[in-house]
Amino acid sequence: MASTKEVLSLAVETGDALLRNGAEVYRVEDTVMHILESYEIEEYDVYVLSNGIFASANENKEDACSMIRHVPLGSTHLGRVTALNQLSREICSRECSLEEAWKRLEACKQIPTTGTAAAAFFCGVGCNCFCYLFGGALPDSAVAFFCGLALKILLQYLSAGKVSKFMTNIVGSALVTLISLGVHLLAPAILYDKIIIGSIMPLVPGIALTTSIRDFFNGDYLSGAIHMIDAVLTAFCIAVGVGTIMTIYRYLIGGIL
Amino acid sequence: MILAQFFICFLATLSFAILFAAPKSELFFCGLTGAIGWIVYLIFLQFYDSIPLANLTATFSLTVICRLIASLRKHPVTVYLISGIFPLVPGAGIYDTSYYFIMNDMGQCSHYGMQTIKVAGAIVLGIIFGFALPQIWFNALGQLLHAARSGN
Repeated sequence: MASTKEVLSLAVETGDALLRNGAEVYRVEDTVMHILESYEIEEYDVYVLSNGIFASANENKEDACSMIRHVPLGSTHLGRVTALNQLSREICSRECSLEEAWKRLEACKQIPTTGTAAAAFFCGVGCNCFCYLFGGALPDSAVAFFCGLALKILLQYLSAGKVSKFMTNIVGSALVTLISLGVHLLAPAILYDKIIIGSIMPLVPGIALTTSIRDFFNGDYLSGAIHMIDAVLTAFCIAVGVGTIMTIYRYLIGGIL
Repeated sequence: MILAQFFICFLATLSFAILFAAPKSELFFCGLTGAIGWIVYLIFLQFYDSIPLANLTATFSLTVICRLIASLRKHPVTVYLISGIFPLVPGAGIYDTSYYFIMNDMGQCSHYGMQTIKVAGAIVLGIIFGFALPQIWFNALGQLLHAARSGN
């Protein structure tokens, strides 16, 4: 039988990876508990927050062990969440030895994110489609495509430089507004508002809102509140970014907006 | 018309699913859930002119479909729900609110601000109602569909 410490670090490490890639608190807690159980640890306690994991096992035995992890709010990677979920299923059906589980866990963490070029392209396509859905005409959607493209490139650049989330959202929405107002200036027939609405979609806090609700629903109020604050602040930052550029534009061009 | 909307929303949700690095095998389903949610929203608006209620209905259907697909495909609900929710999130509401705020039109600003909050609340309720249905139903339905498919 493996020592408590080995099992607990596997379980917590899996939970850490899940949380980091955007799984909801309930799933993380559940996964950690199931892994502990399937390696025959009967006494344990697990407490997960949206940015931390606290776990202890076998407190009354010789090899008692407890662990704490700090997990900053990160970007969502659904591929990793799916792979980790699959891994924990296999561990639970006892198909997976401890060594093998570690190897699989490392492999799951290494699943690559979408490449910059592909991400930029699909961000463009997404913005393009959303612009059309929210009432833009074809030329507007075409502009939205380039807005999305530029926005994603900017976001990648900012995330490499570890710029704070506030600034990222403000600068991102400001860029989109700038481009669409610029195009509007050259071609007045362009519906700049539809372009902006379509192009801010990658910034809009859909994930934070969804995760927050699910946390609340499962009774994890603290985590739900953290995500809800995240969602509200993100929305606020988008409004500030759009608003700033609009105000400047209005001052420069003089009320014909 | 509604077919075009369906297809374009499918494409939009699929693109966002790629941005969040959803597994390749699930991309089709991610797109599908988003498109279905949007179509429910549009159809509801045809019959009853209330954006929050339309959002509630659409989010509820979206959640139920996501849970069904999740139990069928044996993947976390999160994968489908996160991608599928995007067409319904009030991005336009955020824009309109800040636009009228800048324009100093406080009447319109508070109108759109309240509407955005209502829509967000409707999404919250839709997801909560969707998750309130017992998981056993979805497991049973998933098994049933699984059996039907392997029987053919």
